Amino acid sequence: MKILKKNQLDTLWERLARNAELYLPTQKGDQSGFFSYKTLKPEKDTLMLDALNVYLSPKNIVLPQTEMMYSFTHQGQEINLEEVYEDPTPRIIFGLRSCDVKSIDRLDTVFFTRGFVDEYYRSRRENTLLILNACYHPGPNCFCEAMGLSPRESESADIILHDAGEEGYIWVANTEKGRELTGNIEDILEEKEISYPQPRPFTREVDYTGVAEKLKDMFSHPIWHPLSDPCINCGICTYVCPNCYCFDIQVKTRGEEGYRYRCWDSCMYGEYTMMAGGHNPRETGMERFRNRFLHKLEFFTERYGEPLCTGCGRCIAVCPTGINIIEIMEKAKGVEPSA
Amino acid sequence: MHKNSSENPLVPQIVEVVKIIDETPDVKTFYVRDESGVPFNVMPGQLAMVSMLPIGEGMFSVSWQEEQDHLEFAIKSVGLMTSEIHRIEVGQKLGVRGPYGNGFPVEKCKGKDMLFIGGGIGLAPLRSFIKYCFKHREDYGKIQIIYGSRSYADLCFKEELFELWPREKDSETFVTIDKPEEGWEGNVGFVPAYLEQLNPDPANKIAVICGPPIMIKFVLQSLEKMGYQDEQIITTLEMRMKCGIGKCGRCNIGSEYICLDGPVFDLAQLRQLPPEW
Ligand code: SF4
Ligand code: SF4
Ligand code: FES
Repeated sequence: MKILKKNQLDTLWERLARNAELYLPTQKGDQSGFFSYKTLKPEKDTLMLDALNVYLSPKNIVLPQTEMMYSFTHQGQEINLEEVYEDPTPRIIFGLRSCDVKSIDRLDTVFFTRGFVDEYYRSRRENTLLILNACYHPGPNCFCEAMGLSPRESESADIILHDAGEEGYIWVANTEKGRELTGNIEDILEEKEISYPQPRPFTREVDYTGVAEKLKDMFSHPIWHPLSDPCINCGICTYVCPNCYCFDIQVKTRGEEGYRYRCWDSCMYGEYTMMAGGHNPRETGMERFRNRFLHKLEFFTERYGEPLCTGCGRCIAVCPTGINIIEIMEKAKGVEPSA
Repeated sequence: MHKNSSENPLVPQIVEVVKIIDETPDVKTFYVRDESGVPFNVMPGQLAMVSMLPIGEGMFSVSWQEEQDHLEFAIKSVGLMTSEIHRIEVGQKLGVRGPYGNGFPVEKCKGKDMLFIGGGIGLAPLRSFIKYCFKHREDYGKIQIIYGSRSYADLCFKEELFELWPREKDSETFVTIDKPEEGWEGNVGFVPAYLEQLNPDPANKIAVICGPPIMIKFVLQSLEKMGYQDEQIITTLEMRMKCGIGKCGRCNIGSEYICLDGPVFDLAQLRQLPPEW
């Protein structure tokens, strides 16, 4: 088997970063997330290879928080489209976890299927390579397995690393792209037979079985009131969630030039569904809360066959009011269905 | 289908406004085309995103595609972008992208008698289907149109309502306004009441409804009373939209996206959705 010694990490990154934008899990100031290798300041920033999980998911790499769409010029009645900004820069995300790889799968499903391909997403995604760091020690809020994925396997990870401690990482090329990349850096890998680490059990007990079916008849259930009561609709849960993909489209103009861009949006905000003229079909915080959790646990499953939560635990860790998606699943399972 | 060179469904094509019609004090119809004619082909009931590029975009039902020549949008001034669009003049360039959504089931309705029930600007989407039926006259049975608005001035498409449609064969056009008005000799009252009074027989009929939510609600009750089955009733839903291609998330009702799976649903389908419509 191929082994990547830990003292070779710097060499590897330096090599990978020659031909691609490389992102590593990093703590920068009080934020952790996947930051560009080029911007790392060794004296200030800390690598977070073992964190479960870094605060920000890697979704911004395939679906940037703000992304230019196209520019235009206008003068009098005339309008000209200038440039369409699709971004095919090669990118490599190193050290993301199974929950985050799976969330990118879900984004693929959304942006590639059902009649339309989102070209902005496609140009980024098709040029992004994923290096998965397999999980052997699930974190305190992790429950990916319950959401139907394996913490150590993934079809869409191009390379899978298994952390065997002092021995280094077991390096498994998992896709054609992964094998190609491996070919380019083979000289820094070693050939050696070592044993895979022993996985530890999950600390969270979660069972998604039957939740989607149960929720299907719970739209009008009174339980949404007490469940959503603490929520202040701050939207931070949607911001950190690797699966939340909703976006807004806005325009910026200066003089005769302008561009349209898209940016992350949140179903937790009132404006999200506010129609011209003022009517809002999801006027109350409860309705927005209900939509978020039903979307994750029921609507998405109904539409695409899998839930829109990959059990990364981020929303549980960041919610200022203690809302917990695991508890919501448990409570939903516990109630009598409403008429 | 897209003429924009990038084939990117979120990038508009540039069209020119070639004609503007004042329908009512707050509704105007805009005819748009590019050098070669229509920017894309649209089926009745489908949507398109219209942008005043420096200001904003809005999703509208295409109220008619005139052959390969131009698209027509009837737009009511209700917010920032729509009030800006009401200020433009012929010659203005706009962006359009589309077509989006499923459109009316024109095939499934073949051979049926058609009953169109509209209120206010709700006649704009219906108009595409009404005109389609008249254009393919032999494919559809009797055509009845019931339409109401607040006042005479607020009725859209007056020439069609009072002159063109009543002349079509095997068709009836019924118009009502909310309150009596000097010079108005037609019916006075709300659409649902007028509908019950006219009491069109449900046999072999499809009812297509479009209007303000409150009107839709009462019309549905009336139709039910009159013996219409859920499968015979079709309506269109409205939600806020940004992308039009089922990606940006906001126009969902349950697991359906109105921009993609809608905006047209029959009542049987609607009853499967969470009661958010
Ligand atoms: S983080 Fe918590 S309080 Fe904020 S919107 Fe999400 S569930 Fe509500
Ligand atoms: S819903 Fe919460 S736990 Fe699930 S993927 Fe999103 S942030 Fe992670
Ligand atoms: S408008 Fe974006 S999903 Fe429907």
